[in-house]
Amino acid sequence: MARQSRKKSNSKLWFLVHSWLALPIWFFVLIVCFTGMLAVVSQEIVWLANADVRASKPDDDSQRLSYQQVLDAMHKAEPELAVRFFSQPDGSHFALQASVTRADGTNALLYVNPYTGAIQGQRPDFDFEAFTRALHGWWLVPFSNGYSWGWYLVSLLGLPMLASLVTGLVVYKKFWRGFFKPLRTGHGPRIFWGDVHRLAGVWSIWFIAVIAITGTWFLIQAILADNHVTISSEPIVPVIAREQVPRTADGGPAPRIDLDQAARIASQKIPGLDISFISLPATAYSHYSMGGRGWYPLMFQTAEVNPYTRNVDSQFLLGDRSALEFVTESMRPLHTGDFGGLAIKLIWFFFGLVLTLMVFSGLLIWTKRTTQATLAALKRGERPARKRATASPTTLEAQP
Amino acid sequence: MSQTDTLPPSGLKQLWLKWRFHLNILLILIPLGFMPKYFADASLFRGDSGLGANIVEGIQVGRWTLDLAELRDEAPRAEGPAGYFKAFNAACTSCDEGVKATYLRVGKPRSLRAAGTIFFGAPARMGTSLPIPPRTRPDADIWITIEGWDGKMYQAAVPLAKASPATAAWLEKQGGNK
Repeated sequence: MARQSRKKSNSKLWFLVHSWLALPIWFFVLIVCFTGMLAVVSQEIVWLANADVRASKPDDDSQRLSYQQVLDAMHKAEPELAVRFFSQPDGSHFALQASVTRADGTNALLYVNPYTGAIQGQRPDFDFEAFTRALHGWWLVPFSNGYSWGWYLVSLLGLPMLASLVTGLVVYKKFWRGFFKPLRTGHGPRIFWGDVHRLAGVWSIWFIAVIAITGTWFLIQAILADNHVTISSEPIVPVIAREQVPRTADGGPAPRIDLDQAARIASQKIPGLDISFISLPATAYSHYSMGGRGWYPLMFQTAEVNPYTRNVDSQFLLGDRSALEFVTESMRPLHTGDFGGLAIKLIWFFFGLVLTLMVFSGLLIWTKRTTQATLAALKRGERPARKRATASPTTLEAQP
Repeated sequence: MSQTDTLPPSGLKQLWLKWRFHLNILLILIPLGFMPKYFADASLFRGDSGLGANIVEGIQVGRWTLDLAELRDEAPRAEGPAGYFKAFNAACTSCDEGVKATYLRVGKPRSLRAAGTIFFGAPARMGTSLPIPPRTRPDADIWITIEGWDGKMYQAAVPLAKASPATAAWLEKQGGNK
């Protein structure tokens, strides 16, 4: 009897902890979940809204152009453009993106058709993708000295999230039987939202765990970076030595290999290197830098090709990573769901929606129940022990 | 349950309810407050707000003319053990021809090998991050060095106090501490 009542009061405590976790910042948590859900599919939303970012084939048997062919086409259309960087978003339905500097000193991101090289448009001043990510990731607080404190604010939520998962599973008796429990309507909103909360909860155990753990990693990452601790084994690429840049007879610029030659050299040296982004040398002593996903889609492989000597001066492949890096570098894609095309993104989006709904239903339950339960618990503390066993007017079990 | 409803609300609960409400509002106000800064920064990096702050125009370096600006009108930023850095931008449309590299340094470089930090990017908008030793004299000059494809070196100097008054003021303060 005594043990049972201790057990019961323990579960009451767990329940109260669970109930108070998201509060009093529920609205903040709600917006973070909501913007995170949007950020996952922000690229697709832009694709739907803006025809410029779509890679439309002019006809069925059109072939994709090479990077150099695209560059040539762009220079033909706008000779003054200085292209700095090409990047192909994950998915062939997306237009190629080109970072450029114009003669007037402005930078732009251009959407280029990968089949024709036509410049279809430019990223608008209001960049929906970047905005939702900045709002979700660091609450728009600028990075002025190391990580933004907004980053800490958001990533700290990983801890209460993890705690609500654990306490939620503790208070939800036999949660493994809850996967197919029907929602009870007609018993009032408290019962209904309670059922929604539990059903959504058991189905998203894995997702909450993933998001909470990776979110907590973002916190750790910021702490490490702000204390100048690095666990990266990525080589620091030195600039090209002065002697490797040839002198020309007429005092003109030294000839460089072109983008396609650079890409070919890297692909030959590194079998299986997928080149989904490539940057042009940013100075006379800089490399062509390129990279893409390897067989393990959560991480990127990169290579630096010397435009004068044609050597691959530096590379960072999957095999170069330490075991720890496999874990830490996987954290970001696991959080954002951008490692397996549209299907994975839609799963992440759906569970992001469910998570947002969990915060919302949790709040509804809280307003109806926790205030009363807390008051009752406080009151019980003031009462004689004899009465305590029967005093609770509200059910504190998670299962009504 | 009716008992709890009829209890007079305690002072603690009152305070809590009020505080909870304000904490939510406060958290939502943060991104709203930073939104103008966010869009101003986006515009700054796009170059839509010009080259930067305190632009020094028409600096003659050899046969080229260059504009120099600090990215932000502010003191150098600490970058951990590497020390303090100041971001500068430069524009030199005539540099398309003949220029191999452009460098920036506090104090006059003795040779091309010590010309300073290299400017990255297209001549129309290049950027570099200049290390500022805290012991620098506030009246120091910053030197722009252009390395030509002909192997020659071309130089010009700008008073640091003119290119970045905030840095000069910061150095003044640093000197006071030492």
